[in-house]
Amino acid sequence: MKVPEFNRTLRQLVALPILLLVLMAGFLVWQIVAAARAQEQLDHSDQITGQVQNLQNLFIDQETGLRGFQLTGDPVMLAPWKAAAGPIQLQFDSLRTLMADDPEQTARLNDLKSRYDEWQVFARGVLGKQPEAVVDPHLNQRGKAMMDGIRATARDLMLHETQRRRTEYDHARWLQNRELISLFVSIVVVGATLGFFTVHHVRAVSKSYLQQIDDMTEQSEALFESQQWFQTTLESIGDAVIACDNHGAVSFMNAVAQHLTGWKLDDARGHALEDVFKIVHEETRVPCESPVEKVRRLRTVIGLANHTVLIARDGREVVIDDSAAPIMSGDGEMIGVVLVFRDVTEEKRLQAALVSSEKLAVAGRLAASIAHEIHNPLDSVANLHYLLEEETDPEQRAEYLKLAQQELGRTMQISRTMLSLYREPKAPITVGLRELIDGVLLLLDRRMKHQGIQLETELTEALMVEGFPAELRQVFTNLIGNAIEAAGSRGRIRIRMEHAAAEELHGAGAVIEIVDSGVGIPSDIAPKLFQPFFTTKGATGTGLGLWVSMGIVQKHGGAIRIANSTDRELPGACIRVFLPARTLAQTETAGD
Amino acid sequence: MLYSPWNLASGVNEFLDRITEKVAPPTILCIDDEALGLKIRRTVLERAGYHVLTAEDGPSGLSLFREQAVDGVVLDYYMPDMDGGVVAETMRRERPSVPIMLLSAYINLPADLVSLVDVTLLKGEGPQELLEKLRLMLGSRCASESGGAR
Repeated sequence: MKVPEFNRTLRQLVALPILLLVLMAGFLVWQIVAAARAQEQLDHSDQITGQVQNLQNLFIDQETGLRGFQLTGDPVMLAPWKAAAGPIQLQFDSLRTLMADDPEQTARLNDLKSRYDEWQVFARGVLGKQPEAVVDPHLNQRGKAMMDGIRATARDLMLHETQRRRTEYDHARWLQNRELISLFVSIVVVGATLGFFTVHHVRAVSKSYLQQIDDMTEQSEALFESQQWFQTTLESIGDAVIACDNHGAVSFMNAVAQHLTGWKLDDARGHALEDVFKIVHEETRVPCESPVEKVRRLRTVIGLANHTVLIARDGREVVIDDSAAPIMSGDGEMIGVVLVFRDVTEEKRLQAALVSSEKLAVAGRLAASIAHEIHNPLDSVANLHYLLEEETDPEQRAEYLKLAQQELGRTMQISRTMLSLYREPKAPITVGLRELIDGVLLLLDRRMKHQGIQLETELTEALMVEGFPAELRQVFTNLIGNAIEAAGSRGRIRIRMEHAAAEELHGAGAVIEIVDSGVGIPSDIAPKLFQPFFTTKGATGTGLGLWVSMGIVQKHGGAIRIANSTDRELPGACIRVFLPARTLAQTETAGD
Repeated sequence: MLYSPWNLASGVNEFLDRITEKVAPPTILCIDDEALGLKIRRTVLERAGYHVLTAEDGPSGLSLFREQAVDGVVLDYYMPDMDGGVVAETMRRERPSVPIMLLSAYINLPADLVSLVDVTLLKGEGPQELLEKLRLMLGSRCASESGGAR
């Protein structure tokens, strides 16, 4: 049962009894009013009966007075006659009003009145005669007959009123019984209705309540199972996982994390992450910023700095690669942080080996190109020496010596240039990019000429960056070498250099763009370009060039972007290298 | 003097050499983009008695090769526009009998090119080596050609 449905049920449970009771009260009020009206009718009849009785008594009084006067002739005897005259008139008026609703009775009353008036005329006739004439038996007989008529009419009136009262009384009784029965029946009906209704609704609520309890039990079981499943999954992950609450207290560690940190989960639980997960920079040994703080600040997934070393509880050290992410509740609140990391000591060692192997390959290629450059003039010098041995003409000898000197000078210049190019300082120095790229182009010049490459350069004089010149030269030798290869025979290459203003994500620096006229980079290999051992050159490439170049540029705090050129004249690959004016590269450590 | 078959053979060779030298010095075509080196090499070869033609790039070398009677070619490998490999291939296709020496400072020469030419020589090995190898190349060619004619 949903909340709105429950509320509706509650409202019904309150409203229906009120409604039924109001209806019942209305019904009873109606009954009571009907009974009261019947009682009024009864009172009305009683009043009429009383007044008719009274009227009869007054008639008797008048008749008695008249008789007395007739018998005695004494006017004193007429006192009751006179006293009754006024009340009789009043009584007639009152009765007429009371009987207004009953035309039959009114007719009878009028009959009575006319008979009375007739008798009055007769009585006044009697009173006007001499006393001796009054005792006329004929006259008496007539008076008696008239009075009998009045009495008969009054009795008739009385009789009818009595009958009417009886009818009304029966009606009133009937109403009273009906009232009682109605009361009883409505109590039973309302009670039963309310009872049935309430039982029905309460049963529905209770059923739904039981259902909800069942559902919740089921849900909590499912929840428990899924929690178990997640727990097992986290436990089984090959990477180390540490979860902590919003305050940085450890709440979970999987087996790998326990192994790498040297902490058992039971010991670590509740400890601050900094105690369990001690990380320092590999070389500087400066403690790294707490990942919890960083995540709380940035509220996003973060990768931790390179060269992070985890110091285990027993002092063991492992190089780790890790990331930290906020744990968000359903309503977007951050409720914790989860760290995922793994031991990359071996991987780092391997990478270092690869880098030095690429360095060796670069050195080998450099040696070959130096040998090539030097062998041409050396060959001439050897030839000149041979000619000098056989030559006797001093003029000719001088000419040969001069040429030999010239060629030796060229040899030395080449070797000096190469040496200066490849002498590597221990700390980053200011490097003139134009000089550096000119040096690289000098080295690649023969190769470009060989392929008939048309080279366009826009090199800005004053662009300086901080860094390690030999490494940067390795980068550009690699990138321009790739461009030469991509451009193919009689291709074109454009090298452009420009100042890059400081932006949100990087400081000011320089961008070097190398575009070739080759076929560009197929989209399927684009994501693999910077992976080690990926090569498109078959057996002639090591597949490490771009990977190492990327490493060097990143070490300098720069970036390499490779895309396809949008220039129609040069439709090949477009490589943009950003180098910051202030390098992030650290001083080389001994042995590197 | 002892006339052994060996002495006789070498004597005949020497005689033949002398004859060819005198009758017509062999013409050598030198192709190299290094102008100064080429000039010096020409002097060395001329001093050794060869008639020398020079070209500073592949295309002009090929046109000389087509126009003139050439007994041997001394070819640089690494040249702009058209490298020694292409030049050697063209020459082989047009006149396969002309021996070619590949003279280069380049260490990693393509294997199929090495097998295509008669002799390879690394620059800087000295003029004696150059002259010796050139002489052997021309000699073996002449011998095999005369052998073929008989």
